[in-house]
Amino acid sequence: MDSNIETRLIFIAPTSDLTPDRIARFIHNLGNEISVKETCYGVVIQGPKDMVKRTLDEVRKMDPNRIYSKIRAFPMGDLRRCRAHHGSRPGFAQLEKEWKDLCLVEQGMICVEKGEKPPTPKKRQKIPVNDLKKLIDEVSP
Amino acid sequence: MKIFLMPPNSLILFDLVERFGHEPLSLMKALRDRVTSNEIEAPPLNVTLDDVKMGLKYAGIEIPSGIRGRLAIYGPLIDQAEAAIFMEDAPYSFGCVGCQRTNELAKLLVRKRKVPILSIDYPANEEDARDMVVRVKEFLEGLK
Repeated sequence: MDSNIETRLIFIAPTSDLTPDRIARFIHNLGNEISVKETCYGVVIQGPKDMVKRTLDEVRKMDPNRIYSKIRAFPMGDLRRCRAHHGSRPGFAQLEKEWKDLCLVEQGMICVEKGEKPPTPKKRQKIPVNDLKKLIDEVSP
Repeated sequence: MKIFLMPPNSLILFDLVERFGHEPLSLMKALRDRVTSNEIEAPPLNVTLDDVKMGLKYAGIEIPSGIRGRLAIYGPLIDQAEAAIFMEDAPYSFGCVGCQRTNELAKLLVRKRKVPILSIDYPANEEDARDMVVRVKEFLEGLK
């Protein structure tokens, strides 16, 4: 495959009002020579690197803090991965977790936009032994 | 600057690094060449003889082959890294023990290179997330 071709995943954060269908239609209307495929989390786009970059920049403008993207190793519709061909989908647990966290990251992006300095959150600590003993006593007296 | 990510295929880190004007060194880009290469018969399950030799540069012969194979891909990325961001406390579903051990070894190799490193946790709530994004931004801006 041509090394100038890039495949990108575009994710819509769970809090966004956008739908994969709307983004796919928007990309089609841009008229850039790239392929688009709707997915459950957003869209997959594939084409020459500069076209993909230009398209991503345009898509981001629709909802800058709720649209995220990363590149993908496997080409679009690859038989080894595409579900239409019963391909396996290792790594989806990670995508799902990070997709769910996008609404949290969005809050961070808003914070950065406003130039706020958030207070340092308390570090999660181990439960003290006495508290653990109390819990054990409560559950199995 | 080229930033090494951990997890190396993280969507959140890849996007943030790109947004703040740096080049993420991702696993996806490294794998892309392999899965689209004609040299490998059934990618990504096979490695070439060269990969096995390259893996030895990053992990000893006594290290399990699965970890050495992964390091053959991670290693060149680590060599190029000018800074790194580690996102810790990932859920167990992110990978097997082999992946975890590879990540531990990769983090050690990055630390040995003495490049600037930012260690953060996966955000559990909005407060954590705000702190995380602001720290990533400050870290990346400080590299320029």
